[in-house]
Amino acid sequence: MNDRHDDDDPRLSTGAYSLDAVSPDEAEAFERATDASESLREETDGLVETAGLLGLAITPVTPSERMKAELMAKLATTAQLPRQEPVAAVPDASAEPESAAPAAPTPVETPAPDARTASTAPRAESRARSRWFARPATLVAGIAAAAALFVGGGVVGTAVSGGFGTSSVTDASAAGLAEITAAEDSQRSTVPVEGGGTATLVWSNTLGRSAIVVDGLTPLPDGKVYEAWYIDAEGAAPAGTFTASGEGTSWHVLAGAMNPGDAIGVTVEPAGGSTTPTTDPIIVGQTA
Amino acid sequence: MLELVTTDRGSDAGNSETAVTFERLLDLISRGDREAFSELYDRTAPRVLGLVKRVLVDHAQSEEVAQEVFLEIWRTASRFESQRGSAMSWILTMSHRRAVDRVRSSQSGHDRDERIGLRDIEPDYDEVSETVEIRIEHERVKRAMAQLTALQREAISLAYYGGYSHSEIAGILSIPVGTVKTRLRDGMIRLRDELGVTS
Repeated sequence: MNDRHDDDDPRLSTGAYSLDAVSPDEAEAFERATDASESLREETDGLVETAGLLGLAITPVTPSERMKAELMAKLATTAQLPRQEPVAAVPDASAEPESAAPAAPTPVETPAPDARTASTAPRAESRARSRWFARPATLVAGIAAAAALFVGGGVVGTAVSGGFGTSSVTDASAAGLAEITAAEDSQRSTVPVEGGGTATLVWSNTLGRSAIVVDGLTPLPDGKVYEAWYIDAEGAAPAGTFTASGEGTSWHVLAGAMNPGDAIGVTVEPAGGSTTPTTDPIIVGQTA
Repeated sequence: MLELVTTDRGSDAGNSETAVTFERLLDLISRGDREAFSELYDRTAPRVLGLVKRVLVDHAQSEEVAQEVFLEIWRTASRFESQRGSAMSWILTMSHRRAVDRVRSSQSGHDRDERIGLRDIEPDYDEVSETVEIRIEHERVKRAMAQLTALQREAISLAYYGGYSHSEIAGILSIPVGTVKTRLRDGMIRLRDELGVTS
């Protein structure tokens, strides 16, 4: 510690602060100082803006397709800080640390602005379940059996193929997911995954498409795949098979057209998929 | 900051009349508008990634950090204060901070240094850039940087493009931390005036 006494003058640190060349502790102390001094704050804002110009002069780099798809999927599970309406003292708004660590994905118990989806979700879910091959009473037991599959089959390393490749199939799926989540009438609903965790259903009625997004979906043993279904009064129509990556986010853009109100289900099926479900669903939800 | 706003619109060459400002997009995003978020992403992600990658070098890590930046934008859009600066500057500030945090918190900084070597930290302003607009920005910044003393330029480059802290810079250059702070401040004030940033 050979700090000199003049290092303590916050005025000397405006340049270093604007370039992020101070330690987190120093940054915090400096920000407190700017709150107390208008001239200090003014100089700081100007230098921060100037640093931004240094950033603008850097050659842009095009991100991969999947970066956007992943990001759009993560929005569904990332809560937003509330808007601070004019001095309407919201008691716990200030309790949220401004620069909290990497946006810890908060499970959406109470999805922020989309009251529509939030209020319909529980009802929709029970409706979907009651439709599941007219065996609502056995659903829970069936789910336990499906979960047991993971254990029985022995969860060994990566099953089938990691979902995190850069194959064109993945990229196409990523683009599809981005399209659905960005649609003007995009809706979502969070449903439990049997065996643990939650899945997010995302759909757009105007596009007639939907997708399932799951964090940390368990990889299946060899010879098994996840299969998605669109379910209506007529029964269950296959909507494509997929595999889990084990860690990170797995998603599947459903094949075929979605009609508003369709339920969406996921079962575990033999490799290659089935034409009708052979097990009880591990995920069920309903579009609206 | 007036400069920045003008430049932002310019990035949508052709339909600058109809382009929604980044400030407006942030406002929509703070209300949970995913379409606005998608548009903001499309228009700014290459800049964010470019900046992060300049500091981190490694592409995969840079995409991770850029993703964190956009999630933070989603989370904290309601905290953006337009009277303190432009939206683009807010986004780039956040990007730089995240990149620097990553470099300092992990092995990545050391790995990076081994890969590129300290000498290469200073940006190569002669590199061919993709658009006229970026070339203009390059030219402006290059000209402004040329007005600094060599020592100021070196300190600012190490801090901004290299992501080094003032004490690291002091170690690299074998000078006291106080001297680094002075060079950074004098240099940034000079740059601010050369670039015509008003605050």
